Parts: sequence; structure tokens; C-alpha cells
Amino acid sequence: MKVLARDDMATEFMPFWNAVDAGHLSFPVCRTCDRFHWYPLNLCPYCRGQDIAWSEVSGPGELYSWTVVRHAFDPEFWDQIPYIVALVVFPDAPGIRLVTNLIDVAPEKLSFGIAVTPAFDARNAADDPLRFRIVSA
Amino acid sequence: MKLDVAIVGVAETPPMRRSDKGVRGLVIDSVLAALDDAGIAPDEVDGIVTDSMIMPTTVPHDYVAAQLGINSRFDAAISMGGAGIVCAPLQAALAIQNGLADVVISYFGVDWGTRAAGPYGFHDVYPAKKVFEKPYGFNAQPAYFALWARRYMLEYGLTERQLGSVAVHQRRHALLNGGGQMTTPLSMEDYLSSKLISDPLRVPDCCQITDGAGAFVMTSGRRARDCRKRPVYAKGVGFGSVPITGDAVFTQNPELLVIPGAKAAAGDAFTMAGVGANDIDFAEIYDCFTISCLMQLEDMGLCEKGEAGAFFEAGEAGLGGKMPVNTHGGLLSYSYRLGIEHLVEAVRQLRGEAGAAQVVGAEMGLVSGLATPDFGVLVLGGENTR
Repeated sequence: MKVLARDDMATEFMPFWNAVDAGHLSFPVCRTCDRFHWYPLNLCPYCRGQDIAWSEVSGPGELYSWTVVRHAFDPEFWDQIPYIVALVVFPDAPGIRLVTNLIDVAPEKLSFGIAVTPAFDARNAADDPLRFRIVSA
Repeated sequence: MKLDVAIVGVAETPPMRRSDKGVRGLVIDSVLAALDDAGIAPDEVDGIVTDSMIMPTTVPHDYVAAQLGINSRFDAAISMGGAGIVCAPLQAALAIQNGLADVVISYFGVDWGTRAAGPYGFHDVYPAKKVFEKPYGFNAQPAYFALWARRYMLEYGLTERQLGSVAVHQRRHALLNGGGQMTTPLSMEDYLSSKLISDPLRVPDCCQITDGAGAFVMTSGRRARDCRKRPVYAKGVGFGSVPITGDAVFTQNPELLVIPGAKAAAGDAFTMAGVGANDIDFAEIYDCFTISCLMQLEDMGLCEKGEAGAFFEAGEAGLGGKMPVNTHGGLLSYSYRLGIEHLVEAVRQLRGEAGAAQVVGAEMGLVSGLATPDFGVLVLGGENTR
């Protein structure tokens, strides 16, 4: 499934995808209290600060939880099941948990805390989502 | 606040996957049957309370009032889905005890068995979901709760068999009830060999999908004594929530493995009722999934954190156990109408009308309603508890 067209999404969601287009992963952080939040909001949900910056994540993320979806709840996913939905956390963006897919890996290879990294090269168009791969040892 | 309101009539349409009646017709059927159960005429109703998110867009109050000839003096809505259903008696009590209404009805119905997007469609109201989740096929409740379940297994040592014991016990209750959607037995072996939907959740870990409705009638404790059936009293109602949006709650809640609002709602309900967890004879828990049933029992203080799986596995949640849970089979095996069936079943238990699944000596029951990030808890007492 494609990511919603930029014009159709809330303005506070756009910086994430603009950064992805540029090959970066970045998340909203409050300049007043220094806390990250997700999903993007106009006010910091912790201190109501309005000065929200976007901070680039440098290193790989860690696998926090995952599921192998084996049923096409939305018919659009018939040709993709089974697929892996992962929840990824980042040491340099505490408080963020990113939903993504893991590609090029068998579910049996997964375990809690393994390193995963964004697969920018697997995106073919601006409306492709950003999937992840495990970091090979 | 001390509650003095009783549930004097309950009804539901028969649980089924698909009905050709339409959700409005199903709701009207259930409201009329609940009024008949109470022995109260439709034109005596002067108040309506429902959830504030689903019913107002599908079976609005004005439609029900017009169909039944209700001259409403009080009209209110609270929370959404399951949490709204169990919190409705709070608003009814506020109206009845302050002289704003005499007879208040509440109802809930869904047609998610026949509607194309089923239970998944209403999540489109959440803007972040379309941008950050649906493109990855993270688009349905089984996948959301699967992420919780896997992490929960790591942190609390929950086993596959413990998850399965929830499904197995509740199926047993559904067969005793006899009126639910699931009519075939489920053994642990059946569970362990059943189809995975979204690992680690299997088909029997997920609730039914249902077309149907239920309704209940409330009035003052005083008037309740003159109604057709034994009154059941609303002893305590609690509402809890946390400041997080409906699209972020499944993945971003800082305490991801704690049911939002459950502790606060249970605390308020117990305080209002003047009882503790040990006084609860049976519980009807919003078991949209096996995992969420376990987490609610723990976060409401009915089990220690991490121990609800063992509670089920030891048979303590079955009939004859310490605290029978989901005595009709629950959302897993009876029907999924977001918990209106739980409230109806709790009233039947406290009246002694639960047949083969009757909890002997049931005097105090608890009903929970989950609608993340909202949570509702209702403590009900039998006629000797007024």
C-alpha cells in the first residue's frame, strides 16, 4: 500500500517523509523539554511546548516486538501475506516506537533487540513506505 | 457519589455473524425486548444514554426516539464502544438521582459482520494511522494486540498454553450457555494446532465478528422494586483514560503493556461500590483478544501483574473457580458487540437466570469495557446488595 499523498496528510506528518526522501530517518523532539514524541503533534504532549525540532537518528534501531501477519485484513494485502510488522526503538530517540515491515529475513531469524536498519534502497517511489532490514553480523 | 440506580430490563438479539435486519432494526428489537423484560412501556422512557462515537453515527438517539415515541428529557453520550457501554449507568444515575429522568435506556449494536470494512473500518478516523501504519499492513486489531502479546510473553513469561487456556475456558462456557456463535468444543490440542492469524495470536485468540444489538433499561432503586424482574443495582462505575490519541495508543503508550485507564477506572468503581477485588464473584471482561483479557484482569487488580495466565491455566476463571470469567463465552466465543453482551450476561447472572452457566451464589459482578485509550468498569450487585 502507498503512503498517503503528501498533500493529503497533516502538515505535522510531512517532515518525516521529506527526510525519508532525502535518505534520513528523523523524529520530532521538543526544544523546550528535549523529549521525543510520536506520532507527530503540533504541541509537545509532555510540556505543551510549541518549538518542535526534527532530530536525525544516526545508528540502527532495535527490534522491540513483531508479528507475522498471515491474514489479509485489507484485501489489498492478499499478495503480500505473510509479512512481518515490526516495532522498532532507537537508542538516540528514546520514546519513539516505529511501525515498519522487516524485509529480506525469515521470521525464525528474529529475536528481541536485534539491530535493524532502514532500507532506503528498497523504496522505488516517493509514496513507498520505509521498510527495514536486519543488520547482518 | 453513592449510586441508587438499578438495571431493570436487559435484552439482546441472537448472536450471529450476519443478519439481514440492519443495525437500526436490531437495536429497535433489543430496546423493545429490554423494555418488555422490565415491564415498562416505551412511552415511559424519558432518557437515552449511549457511547459517544459509534452509536451517534449509526443508530442515533433521534432515530430511536422517533421509532419508539420517546419524549426525551435527558440525552447523553460517553466515551466510545465498550467503555461507553459500561459507563452509561453513571450518566443515567446522574439524571435519575437528580430528577432529570425517570427511565433511561441504553443500547449498542453493530453490523460489522455484513459491513465491507468490518471491525477495521472505523480506524480511518485516525490520521496518523493512514500515514504511518496502514502502508505497512498494520491495519487490524489482531496485529495491534499481537505486538503486545509477543512483548508480554518476553517480559512476563506468558506461555502459549496460558493464552490458549483463556480461549479453551471461554469456549466451555459458551457451550454451557448454548446461545453463542461458537457451538463446537475447543481443546488445548485444537488451540495449539489452530491457524495463526498474526503471530503469536491464532484464530481462537480473536473475538467473533457479529451483527447484533443489546439494550438495557435503568430506573431508580425505588421504582426498580415494582418492575417485572429482580432488580440488579449499579453499585460503582469508573471511567479511566490516558492522554494519548487513539492511533498512537497501540504502539506509543510509554507503558505499552498496561491497559490505559484500567487501574483508575477499577479504583473508582470499587470505591464507589464500597467493595474490593475480593468481593467480586464473577467478571465479564472485554476479551477482544485473549491477551487483552489477561492484561485487564491484572491492571484492574483482580490478578497480580503477570499472573492472569496462570489463573486461567489453573481453572480459577472457570465455573467453580475462584472468580469465573466471561460466563457466556465472552467476545471470543459468544459474540462481539463490544460488550453489551457482557452487561446483559452479568445482569442475568445476578438474577439467577444463567442456566447451566450460573455462578452459584453470585451477588457481585464486574463488567469491564475497553476502548483504548478509554476504559470503563461497572460493578453490579444483586437484589440483596441495595
